[in-house]
Amino acid sequence: MSTDHLEVAQPDHRPRPRHRAVWVLALLATVGLLAGACSSGSSTTSTATTVAGGASGSVIHVPADHPTIQSAVNAASPGDLILISPGIYHEAVDVTTDYLDLRGIDRNTVILDGTFQFENGVRVLGAKGVAVENMTARNYTNNGFFWTGVEGYRGSYLTSFRTGNYGLYAFDSTKGQFDHSYASGSPDAGVYIGQCQPCDAVIDTVTSEHNGLGYSGTNSGGNLTIVNSIFRHNRAGVVPNSGSYEQCYPERKTTIVGNVVYDNNQADTPAIDVALLAMGNGILVAGGRQNDIERNLVYDHERTGIGLVPFPEEDANDKVPTSEQMERPCSDQKHDPTPDPKSAGTVIWPAADNQVLDNVVSGSGLGDLAFGDLSGEGPASENNCFSGNTFTTSAPTDIETVAPCTGTGSGDPKAGSLDLAALIASERPPAGDYKVTPEPPAQPNMPDAATAPARPATDVPMAVDLAAIAVPTKPTDG
Amino acid sequence: MTPAGNQPMSSNRRLLLLTVGTALVMVALIVVSAVVNGGRGATTASQAPDLSSRVASIHTGPQGTVPQFVVKCAFSHTAPDDPIVHPGMPGMSHSHDFFGNRGTDASSTAATLAGGATSCTKQSDTAAYWAPTLSDHGQPVTPLGLVAYYRPAPGVDPTTIEPFPAGLMMIAGDSMAEGPQPVEIASWTCGTSSDLQVAPPTCPPEAPLRARLTFPDCWDGVHLDSDDHHTHVTFSNDGTCPAGFPVTMPQLTVTVRYPISGAGHDLTLASGPTFTIHSDFFNTWDQSELTKLVDLCLHRGVVCNVASNRAEDEPQQAS
Repeated sequence: MSTDHLEVAQPDHRPRPRHRAVWVLALLATVGLLAGACSSGSSTTSTATTVAGGASGSVIHVPADHPTIQSAVNAASPGDLILISPGIYHEAVDVTTDYLDLRGIDRNTVILDGTFQFENGVRVLGAKGVAVENMTARNYTNNGFFWTGVEGYRGSYLTSFRTGNYGLYAFDSTKGQFDHSYASGSPDAGVYIGQCQPCDAVIDTVTSEHNGLGYSGTNSGGNLTIVNSIFRHNRAGVVPNSGSYEQCYPERKTTIVGNVVYDNNQADTPAIDVALLAMGNGILVAGGRQNDIERNLVYDHERTGIGLVPFPEEDANDKVPTSEQMERPCSDQKHDPTPDPKSAGTVIWPAADNQVLDNVVSGSGLGDLAFGDLSGEGPASENNCFSGNTFTTSAPTDIETVAPCTGTGSGDPKAGSLDLAALIASERPPAGDYKVTPEPPAQPNMPDAATAPARPATDVPMAVDLAAIAVPTKPTDG
Repeated sequence: MTPAGNQPMSSNRRLLLLTVGTALVMVALIVVSAVVNGGRGATTASQAPDLSSRVASIHTGPQGTVPQFVVKCAFSHTAPDDPIVHPGMPGMSHSHDFFGNRGTDASSTAATLAGGATSCTKQSDTAAYWAPTLSDHGQPVTPLGLVAYYRPAPGVDPTTIEPFPAGLMMIAGDSMAEGPQPVEIASWTCGTSSDLQVAPPTCPPEAPLRARLTFPDCWDGVHLDSDDHHTHVTFSNDGTCPAGFPVTMPQLTVTVRYPISGAGHDLTLASGPTFTIHSDFFNTWDQSELTKLVDLCLHRGVVCNVASNRAEDEPQQAS
């Protein structure tokens, strides 16, 4: 899918001699063992998991050493840094070599452009520890930056806009990190991590706007942490969900802390069906379980600020697994015998065992805090709880009395409950065209991009001190 | 990920299907000898494919277990043409809906289709796909599009798969069927559900009607077509191609999506009753790109695309 068409004049960089040695690989393995032995975690710190150590190999310059990113990738060995000069690259780059670092010298002027002909800006297929950083991808029919079937991945200082599916996308992948990145103009999600359990991944300091969904993760979770990020002006903000159309259902154990989530009512974004359905909600757990939603600032939503709702799946492939089955990792679960679809029918994925703590939520049309179910028995019936939040409205009324996180609830769980049928049935503006999403403003560069050594994704995800994260303040432009 | 196959159908179910399939062959042999109709395909009794060996093991259930790549193609055009069954004879065929290569007609050859415009999201997929036109109460239904899944058949070692040879022609399902076909090969369903039916079920609006066809994945290594358009290819069994079919190819499953949901429909196909559902595939991919995808996705054992109910966005119709 790559082309040789390069729009910029090529700087006069002479090919450099490349010093590649077996010891690099040996060092990678050795450091990996040491780092693995030193990693630690606690109840409030996400566990940093190390797949292999880091060491730098050769530096390959594009276009000086190789005219295209793809040709540089094809020539690279594990540990190499591919350093890309400013230019517009009409390429779809496929990466199958472990432990590469693909880096733009300038995030805003190193641009991969798919011209709506190519599917993915950068796609990493089963290669371990590949980092992509400090560049822009735009105008791709599928995704901006995509990792599939990998252990170890990192996307840092990336900008993605106008993509047919996702901006930053990890599928069936573990031990990863998206940080300091920006995504807009996807009908599905700007940022997506799906089909992993445990995912062992972190999303930190990301801005996602003008998408169908700011964040989505189908059937993901397990040491999956979303922190310090901004989700705004999407159809819906942060929407983890479950479904048996892909493996490793249900979504569970995602930690969402310290994010700013506002004005996710945007009627002119592109949108898939789920985004249309979820429109006007800030953080919406659609059929997910055991999620922790803490200390987020959430405001100005036409429907709910933080909502926990069931996800109805028509003609499902399988039933909801038992609690014991849910304890198994995705790597086992996905090889289970194929279920008999005739036994499933329409499956209701309940929102269960979620806790919503210490968030600051305001300006929501149907409830700052909300729980919806089809039985009307209320949030506590599925062991969901709400405590310590700053809010004005809730559905049901007095939700923190009905379903507190400590002690036993009291009050009427049916009073002022969320009218799910009306919520689902109401009209939505039709989806817009992802191809016309406005170009985002310039985004901050990675420090020392031109000189920093290679950083393959060997020390991912980063450790996050959750306890140190306070409710964020309102942004000046929000 | 570790490549592995979804479990094929249970042995009881397979036994039942084999029995049904054998009965169908006997019925077909009796009936086909009396029916030689240009509009229904020019197969004669002596050329009738041996359906008893044509029970495929297929993937059902959630996607995401086995490696795959997926192509979504918009509806391209309708014509009474069939470049496999009635080559060079425009207007001779029952009505077909075409997907993929926009130039497909009765006179198409691998050479004329190569490099043509495509209705698919993957620009390199210039292959031709077609299926009989569906009608509702006698009125043709314009399909929403086609999704083509390329993956190893259950049990097949993905690293052994070779791309379809350039110019390969093959047919999934039987346009001459006189009764229900094995659902593994030719079925109807709602959305991406694995609940495969011999007749179109009543579907919810969120998951409208699809026809689902699975093509053979074993090739004789010599012939790009055969007199009956079937005998040069066959299905693997438990991950192995039978003797005489040395080349293991991807298992191609296509779903043709229709804007049909709810009750009150009266559905027929241009080939006859809805159990005559079938589909044709003419491999005129950009062969080097097809080879690359087989390598990158199937040999490497990764999911390169997922198609599901949550992403029903259509490719642009404009050419």
